[in-house]
Amino acid sequence: MPKQSYNPFLMAQAQFDKVAESLALEESVRELLRFPLREYHVSIPVRMDDGKVRVFRGFRIQHNDARGPAKGGIRFHPQETVDMVRALSMWMTWKCSVVDIPLGGAKGGVVCDPHNLSLREQEQICRGWVRQLVRDMGPVRDVPAPDVMTNGQHMLWMLDEYETILGGRYPGFITGKPVGLGGSLGRTEATGFGLVFVMREALKELGLRPEATTASVQGFGNVARYAVQLYQRLGGKVLSVACWDQGDQASYTYRKKSGIDLEELVGITDRFGGIDKAKATDLGYEQLPGDAWLEQEVDILIPAALENQIHAGNVEKMSKKVKLVAEGANGPTAPEADQIFAKRGVFLIPDFLANAGGVTCSYFEQVQCNMNYFWEKDEVLGKLDTKMTSAFLAVSELSRRKKLYMRDAAYVIAINRVAQACQERGWV
Amino acid sequence: MRFDRNKLAADSSFAFLGSGEPGGKAAGLAFLQESLGGRFPGGSFRGLPVDIPRMTVLLTGAFEEFIAGNRLRLEELSELSDEQIARHFQKADLPVFLVGDLLALVSQARGPLAVRSSSLLEDALYEPFAGVYSTKMVPNNQPDAEGRFRKLVEAIKLVYASTWFRRSRDYCRATGHALEQERMGVIIQELVGHRFHDRFYPSVSGVARSYNYYPLGACRREDGVAHLALGLGKTIVDGGLSWFCCPAYPRTPPPYNSLRDLAKNTQTRYWAVNLGQPAEYDPTKENEYLVHGDLAEAEAEGSLGALCSTWDPASDRLVMGLSGEGPRILDFSPLLQGGVAPLPELIVELLALAGERAQGEVEIEFALALDPQGNRPARFGFLQVRPMAVRRRAASLEGIPPERILVHSEQVVGGGGIAGIRHVVYVKPGTFAAAATATIAGELAGVNARLGGTPYVLIGFGRWGSADPWLGIPVIWSQISGARAIVEGTLPQMSPEPSQGSHFFHNLSGLGIPYFTVSDPRGIAWSQLERMPAVEDLTYVRHVESPAELRVLVDGSTGQGVIAR
Repeated sequence: MPKQSYNPFLMAQAQFDKVAESLALEESVRELLRFPLREYHVSIPVRMDDGKVRVFRGFRIQHNDARGPAKGGIRFHPQETVDMVRALSMWMTWKCSVVDIPLGGAKGGVVCDPHNLSLREQEQICRGWVRQLVRDMGPVRDVPAPDVMTNGQHMLWMLDEYETILGGRYPGFITGKPVGLGGSLGRTEATGFGLVFVMREALKELGLRPEATTASVQGFGNVARYAVQLYQRLGGKVLSVACWDQGDQASYTYRKKSGIDLEELVGITDRFGGIDKAKATDLGYEQLPGDAWLEQEVDILIPAALENQIHAGNVEKMSKKVKLVAEGANGPTAPEADQIFAKRGVFLIPDFLANAGGVTCSYFEQVQCNMNYFWEKDEVLGKLDTKMTSAFLAVSELSRRKKLYMRDAAYVIAINRVAQACQERGWV
Repeated sequence: MRFDRNKLAADSSFAFLGSGEPGGKAAGLAFLQESLGGRFPGGSFRGLPVDIPRMTVLLTGAFEEFIAGNRLRLEELSELSDEQIARHFQKADLPVFLVGDLLALVSQARGPLAVRSSSLLEDALYEPFAGVYSTKMVPNNQPDAEGRFRKLVEAIKLVYASTWFRRSRDYCRATGHALEQERMGVIIQELVGHRFHDRFYPSVSGVARSYNYYPLGACRREDGVAHLALGLGKTIVDGGLSWFCCPAYPRTPPPYNSLRDLAKNTQTRYWAVNLGQPAEYDPTKENEYLVHGDLAEAEAEGSLGALCSTWDPASDRLVMGLSGEGPRILDFSPLLQGGVAPLPELIVELLALAGERAQGEVEIEFALALDPQGNRPARFGFLQVRPMAVRRRAASLEGIPPERILVHSEQVVGGGGIAGIRHVVYVKPGTFAAAATATIAGELAGVNARLGGTPYVLIGFGRWGSADPWLGIPVIWSQISGARAIVEGTLPQMSPEPSQGSHFFHNLSGLGIPYFTVSDPRGIAWSQLERMPAVEDLTYVRHVESPAELRVLVDGSTGQGVIAR
């Protein structure tokens, strides 16, 4: 599918409209939820290391906070667009709602490329972004978190700026902080593990034992690695992983029919998440084209890299053996591919349910920060499992009962909860 | 069946979690569960509900992953004290695939839980490992599921840690097992009992064996023996005072000369789970949530009525039940004679059933919950089954000149002969004091270590291995690991009845170590021992070497035995 035809916000709205219709939502509710409640567009002047001042464009978009303070990551990306941030903020609303945590949805971004910025320059962007938005954010309003190309260090700079301006300690302002500085144990693993918690439940519904299944994974970042780790612990076998090669500016699929060895592959992975081709070959992996992950003879596909990866142009290449698709990435499946899944009877765990482990653990982090009492990892992951499993069961039960496609069932639950909150508050 | 959190409430009386093996204890119960339904249609025996309490088993794969995932290394941790090991384990994380299920489990399970070890080595025939690893009871009564979850997780980690505790390492070394290969399963089991004020306990805990080494009166060895105690079974398995009877002849009077003797030798304290004010927080302690009450407290709690008799000193007779102000004697007579519940008959049935399934002699543990007021239903819980290694081999005791006999007994556990022993380690009757048993245990451990595996005969007073230092010498197995024959003598100040219900006794008999009970003071030739040259002469313990080789001979069919030069 050509890149320019993909507008994520239009896609998010289309998904919403479909469900709104099926829920027969009132027009006023639809109008409210089709667009963000608030958008902030800011300019951040930064004196660069060469002494010149450069102005960066940033956003914070709060889609809806009827169910609680808005929550969402902040992305640093050179191709960031406001429509992408809008779409992601809307998906955050549904994501928080579907796992039933008392938070709304937001997203932020700065148009910049951290690869070309020194740490000092990145720090100035972080602090400048907070200075511009400090009046409209905070633990009871809007809580940011790391996202694309931001990490715990960025969060600490932002927190420090916020606390300096307000003159106090507010660790609940931001999540994704390092452990020991207000971060939660289990946060690193949360999205990947959360994905496998719901996969495990889906396999039960399909009557499959994890140890009798195989999977192919797109992506080899944080989400994919922890998902592979836990899936393998449950007995599953991962036959291939696909990842981006920074040097070649292309993606490749690495396959081993006897099953990949996670530790072995992590050992030959660079800091961008790219696997060393030569070493992989030496270790007995076949190097295949980037799209080949989709064509493997496996039971489970885990797209855990980028949006719009399974579309009309490649969905037919998917093996007939595939029974389950668990979306680790945001929006990896285009609507046309969804139709093929539905036709073939492929069980789908939609992105905003499958990858909600991250935001759920962020919520736990905020709870811990607000009471300044931190839980053991066992407790964090135990609660994460419970939350994710409950969310999955609610969605699958509705899907079964109303004969809905899983994505639609998840949207119905999520949108219904948000619509209800808006109505009960008397907004619409 | 595999654990399924979504079906917990409906039916999960026996569920497995994770991968690997269930371990000896859990396997034994799983084995029996099928038969139980067939033998007790409707789940009851003469109106008394009988079941295996609902349990979830963490398979040994979880332990392996816990160890590997947290990079815990036996060779590093074995330098540390047990408490330090336990703290390391507490800091480690349980495998992620367990925690959600455990949280779901405690979200639905209300009431105290027993978290028991179930290792690969435990409860296998000729691999006696009873009581080597930890069991922890948790009250599971915190108002929030997260609080209950935290306590459960701490208990599981303690059971895991106990795999590497000193006593486990020593026990494995002494019995020729490689601890590195040991894998721990964990049983999470609901406790059978009732709440009495701020305590939770069964009215009766019991250990019954299908083979009785010390039969009385008309009882045959094959009629078995049952040890009964008020409260948790810890009293019995630790070798404390409890009631014992032959379940086939429960009215057979106990072997005491007087009611005073009887009062002295029956249970006076009981163990319960503390549901009240939380005790001092210490997740590394096995007894963190246990309380040790006395009979006056049990009477005030209303749990004693159906279990005891009252000694009327004026008429010097026992009156069944609570009557007047006389001392309470825990003889369980309302139960054994009064027909409050068909307990003796049920024990006979269960021993037969377990014996059939195991195709041999067995030992079982059980608990009975009774409500003296009759407001809450009675319930019998079958807790454990383990095979007994009974050695019936005969050995001829004839033709041994009396002057060469060092020890003679009519009550010996074991069978066959052992030769090649020259050393004897004995507790000196002249300096023995009941108050010094812990010190004596220390002296024995030192001698045992210096002997460095050289086999010896061990002679002392009271119940070997009892956790109660007033009933005997509280050694653990590693402190006497070189003993190849053990003699339990009696002195006026130390003469408890032999106990067959303790874990120590089970392990001893399982290992095939002959155990001589000598109630007749003439049964031990002290003068011969005193004439032997001393290798070491300590305050309480003397180690001698016999000029001539010693022979241990036991006729397993009659229970007679001698140790002779």
